[in-house]
Amino acid sequence: MKLTFGTAVLGISALLGSTAFAQDNALTINSFGGAYEAAHRTCVIGPFEAATGAKVNVVTAYSADAFAQLRAQKDAPQFDVIHFSGGQEIVGAAEGLLAPIDPASLTNAADLYDFAKANLAKGQGPAYSIAAIGLVYNTEAVTTPPSKWTDLLNPEYSEHLVLTDISNGYGMLSFLMLNQVEGGDLTNIQPGLDAVGKLLDAGAIVVSTSPEIQQEFAQNDAWIAPYASDYAFTLRNAGLPSGFAQGSEGTPASFITANLVAGRPNTDLALKFIDMSISPEAQKCFAEALRYSPTNAKTELSPEVAADVAYGEAGVAGLIRFDPAAIEANRTAWVEAWNKAIAR
Amino acid sequence: MNDRTENLLLALPGLLLLGLAFFLPIAQMLLLSISGENGPTLDHFVRFLTDPFYLGILWRTVRLSLLITAICAAIGFPLAYIMTKVGPKARLWLVVMVILPLMTSVVVRTFGWMVLLSRSGLIPEILRDMGLVGRTFALMQTEAAIVIGMVQVLLPFMTLSILGVLTRIDGRLEEAARTMGCSFLQTIRTVVLPLALPGIVAGSLLCFTLSASSFVTPNLLGGTRIQVLAASIYKSVTATPDWPFAAAQAVILFVGILLVLAPYIKLTGTKNG
Repeated sequence: MKLTFGTAVLGISALLGSTAFAQDNALTINSFGGAYEAAHRTCVIGPFEAATGAKVNVVTAYSADAFAQLRAQKDAPQFDVIHFSGGQEIVGAAEGLLAPIDPASLTNAADLYDFAKANLAKGQGPAYSIAAIGLVYNTEAVTTPPSKWTDLLNPEYSEHLVLTDISNGYGMLSFLMLNQVEGGDLTNIQPGLDAVGKLLDAGAIVVSTSPEIQQEFAQNDAWIAPYASDYAFTLRNAGLPSGFAQGSEGTPASFITANLVAGRPNTDLALKFIDMSISPEAQKCFAEALRYSPTNAKTELSPEVAADVAYGEAGVAGLIRFDPAAIEANRTAWVEAWNKAIAR
Repeated sequence: MNDRTENLLLALPGLLLLGLAFFLPIAQMLLLSISGENGPTLDHFVRFLTDPFYLGILWRTVRLSLLITAICAAIGFPLAYIMTKVGPKARLWLVVMVILPLMTSVVVRTFGWMVLLSRSGLIPEILRDMGLVGRTFALMQTEAAIVIGMVQVLLPFMTLSILGVLTRIDGRLEEAARTMGCSFLQTIRTVVLPLALPGIVAGSLLCFTLSASSFVTPNLLGGTRIQVLAASIYKSVTATPDWPFAAAQAVILFVGILLVLAPYIKLTGTKNG
């Protein structure tokens, strides 16, 4: 009897111990599904689990969904590290949902470009990769690579130009950049709309999703499209000769950030995870798999990969981040104005 | 249990389904369309009806639907007439040929048209080789593409509605007209066409309502720049997102179709009631 009791106590304590152990050694994060999540597992999650022996639970949730969950869980947060691509960390940090990060607690923070770690103290996590928006072009048809955003207005391209609807995130950033080089800003998009109107009159076409861009390049003799760098890679993988060029006026960028959720017990482990996300190895892996631009200055890429991303001091110097809060606030009005501008 | 309760019991599942799947969502949509931040409002309707951009979308939807219906009738009537005149075996094959496209998804058929009509597609290529059109001629993303695609999708509905009526017309009426001195075309105009009117009206109603509310084909063939009402509603729901305005547009589409249908229904009512 004593023995059984003893065994039971032992068993229970072992059980308690193992749950405590599991809590100490597990993280819950979000990722974006599909090819992105596959790369995320290969580049960060897998190596992290191997290095720390921790278990990472991945919840597939896009930025907006993940942010909605984070808000709903305000009193009992479930995520340890949360990833955003749409600037949600700005609002999240302001609302106190995200915890400030001491740069000293991340061994790789010193190597990050300044823009990637600008607001760590405010609670906005570091940008660990970047979707750079530039000019995706057909390398066979366009012999001199485009170098400026104003090249989009080149009459030679007019019948071979593909624009993306601004209901698409990258389409929005491309449009805002075109608007900026035409003299507009976030309070006035009319110059951009006028330019789009001219381009359409000259023969450009508008698509609403990224697969349609591929279709235009494959079937309809498209030469050039303002879009994200990773898409030139997608086109090339589909057998289409395509390259990526940054416009000299600047490169609008969508920052993908890894944020520390406030009020969670495993802060140290979560910081280790974030530290691994911004390591040169993880960023090299992301760039090779998907052609996202690295934010760690020590990341070394082969020339072939580097050509497809914003790489090195010079490459990232021109990165522009349009204020995500301003975009959100104006989205409805802009989408309607855009619809009217492109309607026939 | 008397007959009436029995009938009611039999009809109950259908009525329940109708209530749940039709009246409830429609009522919700009506409520949504007048919901504002400060109680009920007609702002969404005013916004639509005072903006030339949205009125243009409405007009394009009505105009294209009428055109598509007219073309379907112009092709469907002779086709159905021929089907009544050939032998039973040939008729069976013709019916199969008309119905066969319905077995394929609208999306697949529309993609077929995209391949044919795009800049490097078959039809523009042939026209270009014949020197009839310029280098950059394309049929994709034009109203013509929408009309072509929609006519193909809707033709079976028109043909089958007319066929149903034509097969019931007594063949001796035509023979009588011919012996009384009518030419073939006069027989068609004065005898067959009036008798086939209910079929044509029924087919037109189907074609018009289906094309006014269709989304997939106009969206894929017309592209984002040529919007019809259904595409505009979709954009309001997903891109903006502005659900009350989308609901208001849906109500306008609904009422618009009703307005066009009312005289049509009256037309058949007086002819055959």
